[in-house]
Amino acid sequence: MTAFPLAGLVGLSAVLLGVGLFGMLTRRNFILLLISIEIAMNAAILDFVVFAAYWGPGYGLRGQSAAVVLVGLAATEVAVGLAIVLALNRARGSINVTESATLRL
Amino acid sequence: MILEALAFIVLGAVAVFTALASLLVRELVHTILWVATFFVALAGLYFLLSAPFLGVLQLGVYAGAVTILLLFGVMVTRKRIFAREAATGIGPAPLALALLVTVVLATAAAAVPAATTQVHGYAVALLSAALFNDYGAWLLLLGLVMLPALAGAIYLVREGRD
Repeated sequence: MTAFPLAGLVGLSAVLLGVGLFGMLTRRNFILLLISIEIAMNAAILDFVVFAAYWGPGYGLRGQSAAVVLVGLAATEVAVGLAIVLALNRARGSINVTESATLRL
Repeated sequence: MILEALAFIVLGAVAVFTALASLLVRELVHTILWVATFFVALAGLYFLLSAPFLGVLQLGVYAGAVTILLLFGVMVTRKRIFAREAATGIGPAPLALALLVTVVLATAAAAVPAATTQVHGYAVALLSAALFNDYGAWLLLLGLVMLPALAGAIYLVREGRD
């Protein structure tokens, strides 16, 4: 059994969410936008794992199960995001999100 | 004990630094290398938190698959791989909003018990039993999301779409 700093890790997750939000609001490249979303999702997954380590078996196993499902969801989101990147690049020749005023490709 | 505390601090610092660096460097390929390091740092944290299955999942899915997918995305969307991004100014409003959210969340984080607590680790067999019995509905839901998502991805990139 090892000890771990609960508040420090929850704070780390908060900071990582802030970094992801900052990227989502400032970056214009679609791939950078995807990376920002991934950083924010990883902050959420880190929270699940941290609290799973904090609670006993009942809630802990629930937290780790949720983390496994979230990893799968995030991977799905990257796959769809890259499909959008390819479609955008083919239709407009650029993946700058400020140049896409409509959803229609 | 002191070594573990040091490992938590170092991995946390590496995670924050690489996350920021990946969003602030101007070459997209460097961004992806930084974000791969970020994923590996988080995997290290999971191993320290006695969640080895999630650590391996993080290494395989994020540091492996997602990084390669992102590199692939960079490869097919630009003529010169190592081209620099045009500098985009960082406005005060997004910075303020991100800082505000961080401060509010960090204040909330300060409310959780500050002292170091013992890690509860779970055997992988226990986790898989929970995942496929008690929370099987979540896995099923994940599959139900994945199938249309991948079908949609194929629809988006198929040839000859008008």
